[in-house]
Amino acid sequence: MLKVSVISPEKVLFEGEVESLVAPAFDGEVGILTSHAPMMTLLGKGTLRLAGSAGSYQVEGGFLQVVDNNVRVVTERAEKL
Amino acid sequence: MAKGRELKGRIKTTENTRKITRTMEMVATAKMKRALDRVTSARPYANALSEVLSSLYSPDLAERFPLLRQPEQERRAALILLTADRGLCGGFNSNLIREARNQLARLRASGVDVELHIEGRRGVGYFRYVGEALTTVVTGISEKPTADNAREIIDGIMSRFMSGELDAVYVVSAQFKSALSTPPATQKILPVAPPQRKGGAPDYILAPSADEILSDLLPLYVRNQLYRALVETAAGEQGARRTAMKSATDNAGEMLNVLRRTYNRTRQAAITQEIAEIVGGAAALE
Repeated sequence: MLKVSVISPEKVLFEGEVESLVAPAFDGEVGILTSHAPMMTLLGKGTLRLAGSAGSYQVEGGFLQVVDNNVRVVTERAEKL
Repeated sequence: MAKGRELKGRIKTTENTRKITRTMEMVATAKMKRALDRVTSARPYANALSEVLSSLYSPDLAERFPLLRQPEQERRAALILLTADRGLCGGFNSNLIREARNQLARLRASGVDVELHIEGRRGVGYFRYVGEALTTVVTGISEKPTADNAREIIDGIMSRFMSGELDAVYVVSAQFKSALSTPPATQKILPVAPPQRKGGAPDYILAPSADEILSDLLPLYVRNQLYRALVETAAGEQGARRTAMKSATDNAGEMLNVLRRTYNRTRQAAITQEIAEIVGGAAALE
C-alpha cells in the first residue's frame, strides 16, 4: 500500500492509503505502484487519479515525491473532482 | 431628581456598549478559531516545500538562480506591509505600522530606495495620510486571505527582483503567539534564504533535473512565505480584537458598578430628603 497525501497551500486535501495512483507529471502521466524507487518530479496541469474510492483531483504545478511507499503530492492548486 | 435621570441614561448607554463589545468578543473568538485552523492547515505544504528545497539546495547553485542572488549592496528594496482592514483591535494595526515605519527609516538611512506595498485598509489609510507613495494597494482580503491573493501580491515583485530591479524584499506582518500577544515582525523573503538541510536525503530519481525542479519550486516557496504571513496576520487580528473587546467589556462592567452605586445613593438621598421635608411640614402644622 502507498501512503498518499495531497497537499495544497491552503490545506491537506487527502491523506490515506491507496493501491496505486496516476499523476500528471510535467511531461506526461506517471503511474506509481508500491516499492517505487525514491523519485521527485515536477507536476503539470491535469488530473491526479487515486485508485479505489479515494477519487480524483485536479492539480496544477508543484511536485510529487516518492520515498519508501510514501507519496506526497504538493501542488499549488488542487481541487477534488 | 435631575442627577438621577442623567445617571440612568449613562447606565443605559454603558449597558448597550457592553452588549456590543461582548458580541464582538464572541465573534472575534469564533473567527480567530477559524483563522488559526487556516494557519495550521497551511503547515504541511510549507514543511513539504522547505524539506524538498533543502534537500536539493547546494551553495554552488546560488549563483545560477536569480531568486537566490545575494546583491552586494542594497539599492532598491520593497517593503510589503500586511495590516487589517478593520480597527477596534487594540494596538494591533498601530504596532504593525510602527514596525513598518522603523524599517522604512532604517533602510532609508542606509541609502536604500524603498517602495511600499500595503495590504489592509488601516495601513493604506495611514501611509496615504502621511503622504507616502504606495506602489501596490490591496484591500478586502485581510480577513480570509487565499494562496491566490498571495500570488497576486508577490508575483510582480518577484519578477522585478529576478530582473534585478529590486535587491531585497521585506515583509512586515504580525506573529500569532497567542491571543494576548501578536507582535509585529519583519522578515526578509527575497533573496531566498534556503532552509537548512537536516540529514542526508535519499537518492532521488529527479525529473526533469535538480536545476529545473529548484527553479520551479523557489517561486512556490516565496509565495508560500507571503501566504503564511497573510494567514498569521489574519489570525493575529482576530486575537487582538478578542483581547481588546474582552477588556472593553470588563471595563464597561466596572463602570456600570460605579454608576449604579452613585445612582442608588442619589436616589436614597432624594427619598430621605423628601421624608425629612414631609415630617418638617407636618410638624409645622401642629
